[in-house]
Amino acid sequence: MSHELSIEPVGEAIEVEDEQSLLDAALRQGLYLPHACCHGLCGTCKVQVLEGEVEDDDASPFALMEFEREEGYTLACVAHALSDVTIEADIEEDPDAVVQPVEDYEGTVVDIVDLSPTAKGVFIELDRDMDFQAGKYVNLHLPDVEMPRAFSLANAPSERRVIELNVRLVPGGEATTYIHERLQVGDRLHVSGPYGRFFVRRSAPGGVIFFAGGTGLSSPKSMILDLLESGDEREITLFYGQRHRAELYYHDFFEALAAEHANFTYVPALSEPNAEDDWDGATGFVTDVANEHFGGRFSDHKAYLCGPPPMIDACLTTLMRGRLFERDIFMEKFITAADAAQQQRKSPLFKSI
Amino acid sequence: MAAKRLNLREKYQKFTRDLAWEPTYQKKSDIFPQTEFEGIHIHDWDKWEDPFRLTVDAYWKYQAEKERKLYSIIDAFSQNNGQLNVTDARYVNALKLFLTGISPLEYAAHRGFAMAGRQFGGVGPQVACQMQSIDELRHCQTQIHTISQYNKYFNGFHDWNHMHQRVWYLSVPKSFFDDAMSAGPFEFVTAISFSFEYVLTNLLFMPFMSGAAYNGDMATVTFGFSAQSDESRHMTLGLEVIKFMLEQDERNVPIVQKWIDKWFWRGYRLLSLVSMMMDYMLPKRVMSWKEAWEMYFEENGGALFEDLSRYGIRMPKYWEVSVKEKEHLSHQLWATFHNFGHAAAFHTWIPEESEMQWLSEKYPDTFDKYYRPRFEFWRQHTKEKGRWYNPTLPMLCQTCQVPMLFTEPDDPTQICYRSSQYNGEQYHFCSDGCKDIFDDEPEKYVQAWLPVHQIYQGNCGGASIPEVLEYYHLVDGQDNKEYLESNDRANWLRWKGMADTEADREVQAVVNE
Repeated sequence: MSHELSIEPVGEAIEVEDEQSLLDAALRQGLYLPHACCHGLCGTCKVQVLEGEVEDDDASPFALMEFEREEGYTLACVAHALSDVTIEADIEEDPDAVVQPVEDYEGTVVDIVDLSPTAKGVFIELDRDMDFQAGKYVNLHLPDVEMPRAFSLANAPSERRVIELNVRLVPGGEATTYIHERLQVGDRLHVSGPYGRFFVRRSAPGGVIFFAGGTGLSSPKSMILDLLESGDEREITLFYGQRHRAELYYHDFFEALAAEHANFTYVPALSEPNAEDDWDGATGFVTDVANEHFGGRFSDHKAYLCGPPPMIDACLTTLMRGRLFERDIFMEKFITAADAAQQQRKSPLFKSI
Repeated sequence: MAAKRLNLREKYQKFTRDLAWEPTYQKKSDIFPQTEFEGIHIHDWDKWEDPFRLTVDAYWKYQAEKERKLYSIIDAFSQNNGQLNVTDARYVNALKLFLTGISPLEYAAHRGFAMAGRQFGGVGPQVACQMQSIDELRHCQTQIHTISQYNKYFNGFHDWNHMHQRVWYLSVPKSFFDDAMSAGPFEFVTAISFSFEYVLTNLLFMPFMSGAAYNGDMATVTFGFSAQSDESRHMTLGLEVIKFMLEQDERNVPIVQKWIDKWFWRGYRLLSLVSMMMDYMLPKRVMSWKEAWEMYFEENGGALFEDLSRYGIRMPKYWEVSVKEKEHLSHQLWATFHNFGHAAAFHTWIPEESEMQWLSEKYPDTFDKYYRPRFEFWRQHTKEKGRWYNPTLPMLCQTCQVPMLFTEPDDPTQICYRSSQYNGEQYHFCSDGCKDIFDDEPEKYVQAWLPVHQIYQGNCGGASIPEVLEYYHLVDGQDNKEYLESNDRANWLRWKGMADTEADREVQAVVNE
């Protein structure tokens, strides 16, 4: 059985299973709560229960004091929900976050285009408008595929009715194989959203840098279109990396966009261009290309990262060596079972990256 | 709609930050004269992220309740003669090492954080240091009170602070903290909050507190729980300090790296005492030093330094040496203490056969080859000619003050000797790590109060062992020497209703599962 866990002050509501700790449920939704020992001993994950009931018998009497229990505090790492629960946690509410309710939509596939030899663009017309903040994602339910899959929205938020998803074929991947081989124009699909906490910090001053690789282009594309459409005049730079020219989808689109907007700079990079690519742009990894472009200094910018984990990892090192730190770096975060297993190697030095 | 809720950070800032003010008739550099000389550049103290948000009002409530719980358990422990429930009287020797070696460090930390808090120009670190300073005082007091029960029944606990100031091997922990406290405020917090409390604390606390749990010492376990709830705050402070310095200015990076190198090595050398405690002094063992080093330093520390590499920080210098030494450290330490057991404030003994078996299993590549033969020889020697003690004094490392007992990283049959010349004098070191620390600040370490030098200079009561023991406030034949011949053991057997015949005179081991 599961209950609903609402987390203040961010106003997020998530599911929590009976045998699952509140902390585990939050982390799996990509919501960071401060924590350390994970065994009810240190008290780092202390939260206040505003409504509902929890069981926290495993909390150490030295980490959770009597007077705190009386005041409704609990330790998220050992607390289990006994009812629907609302907690107040030590998380910061971002002034640029827009809280949008998650809703269910029915959609019809109206177009499927080949973006590259391995990626398709899927356009779905919804049964009604969806308001979303650029950078968010939807869950797509496919026939014969048990669990829904998450895909970032690639269209600008001004387009509310027809959403665009970019899907790369994952070898052996159940959902992406279905989309690449069986999905047809006219198919009806169930969509829920918008989800996620990845968005542009518009209230922050300074230039904006996007890093995109693999199929990580969706969110930056939506975000950049949104910024430019709203007449934002700050300096925007997109570093976009693929292996070779055929994979560099939307290249012409961004070249045109850069020609049209003086404050938008587009820097594509190919890591392994083919001889026939006739490539005269940058060659190498986006991190090296960006380092050269900015002369190794990224201070006073905000950076947004979307791509495969090795690219994200390389970007973090490059940006931090270039004096841009955690508070100025944002990325899409999906915590999968594999990531959770890898987390053991992670130290608590960084919270959000 | 109701007024917008402040998040916890905003609430905390309202509570604390407004306590600060900009001085108008004094220069800030006169008020905080130590913030610049170390070369650390700070541009914006407001970028300091409070690692924990605790008001003084809440702080008192927490600590008062912790005290009530701890003292009610200590009372129950003493009323029920809890000291009789430990696995073996040998166990209390680990507590003697803790009380004389570690508890005074808690007090030193109390002083150090008070001083550092006074010197930081930003209110965030001021408040964090102030609270940690009070925590450390509480830790020291609660440790003394917890262990005082043992002082009623066992020898060696009676004058721990006096011993800390004078006894030869206790100059290792004492000089460690003196070194940190006589540095600037930024180096102090790097040394204590980061290197010691964050990187190495699990290797200090875990062995003693889990050791207490494994060996039936519930009073010390309870103290451990009570302290661990503060420890998480101290650890997050350590991380925040490092991040803050690294992010404020890139000129800070090489300075911080140098301090991490230095304080890793200083802390690691201090922990060699713990390695011996884990592998030899606990009747029932928790894990081997080697296993602990792999788990807490190589794995957890490795992950931390992987993350720190994004700032341009690398693993501490000579960490590879610590990995090579993990096979040897505890055996070399215990062998040395066994030889100098007549001058130690606790008892020593030869591990009995099942314990040697455990050591062989935990150290398959080194124990049987290098160390078992020594212990077997000494056991035989004791049977035939009586217990042998080394009548000379050991040469000490000028930096860490541990006797020169460590071997070359790649040759466990050769003692490692390093030396440096400074102002026409020669100084000796146990390792490249300690030599580098000296070479970087020789004028600091030439002042080291080396116990062996002090004895030879006539500053420690006299030139004979009994005179020095008197200077240490150790009673010869009561607080020191062989466990098998000790009052502690005789009393223990009496209390437990066991016979004490010559034939039984073997250490009674609690065999690990």
